[in-house]
Amino acid sequence: MRDINIENYDLSVKIKEENDIVIARQMVKNMVRKMGFTLSDVTKISTAVSELARNIYRYAGEGYILLRGKQEKDGKNVGVEIVAYDRGPGIEDLDSALRDGYTTTRNSFGLGLPGVRRLMDSFSIESERGSGTIVIVSKKRRAF
Amino acid sequence: MKYCERNSGLSTVPVQIELDDSTVGALQNQILSEIQSESIDGIIIDVSMVDVIDSYISYVLSETARMARLMGCHTVMCGIKPSVALTMAQMGLRLTGIHYAQDLDHAIKILERIVGVGKQGA
Repeated sequence: MRDINIENYDLSVKIKEENDIVIARQMVKNMVRKMGFTLSDVTKISTAVSELARNIYRYAGEGYILLRGKQEKDGKNVGVEIVAYDRGPGIEDLDSALRDGYTTTRNSFGLGLPGVRRLMDSFSIESERGSGTIVIVSKKRRAF
Repeated sequence: MKYCERNSGLSTVPVQIELDDSTVGALQNQILSEIQSESIDGIIIDVSMVDVIDSYISYVLSETARMARLMGCHTVMCGIKPSVALTMAQMGLRLTGIHYAQDLDHAIKILERIVGVGKQGA
């Protein structure tokens, strides 16, 4: 699994308690709003972070939500990259985890990861049994 | 979160804070016990102040509506913001057992049509 250096990100939120899900969601919301994302995109990104942070809390116990602006060569902010990173047990069946309606817990629609995938522009996931999971998503900033 | 006045078998729940997992669970318990203790047959959950409704919150609200239905009560959710509606639809969230309305007035009209609540006292 790739190594994630927290230093390279503008924002990092440690997820350890249930309340950290809301904290991550709020901090990311404020950040992307400041970056000039539209209200719809701010809502989509915050919702995606809520899902990712809950997955960390539920399945790994602890981990991080990281965020950075994605720059173009001219130095202008063009989007945001968000990483959900944990050193938990990893996802046993990645294909299933990405399928609508699949869940390993009670009280779930099984739409977390597939929902995040639909809300964001890019989505990649890496998971290793016993080593953890890294989800990297990004969204471009659009005028409307 | 505060509970509003009772209006002949109808109860309004305005959700005014950021919903976290334990709050939404507490909300569920509160609604169900109120249905029993106050013989409510119509619940209106007003989410016009809510910025994010994710899959877990949706799940609990949908489950609450199904539980309420088993207790003889209908549930209407009103005031979903456009950006929240867009996000929920794109995620593929489909809540069952719940009715939707634009605002409180619309929610009351829907409940009147379904069970005739709100009319008894008038």
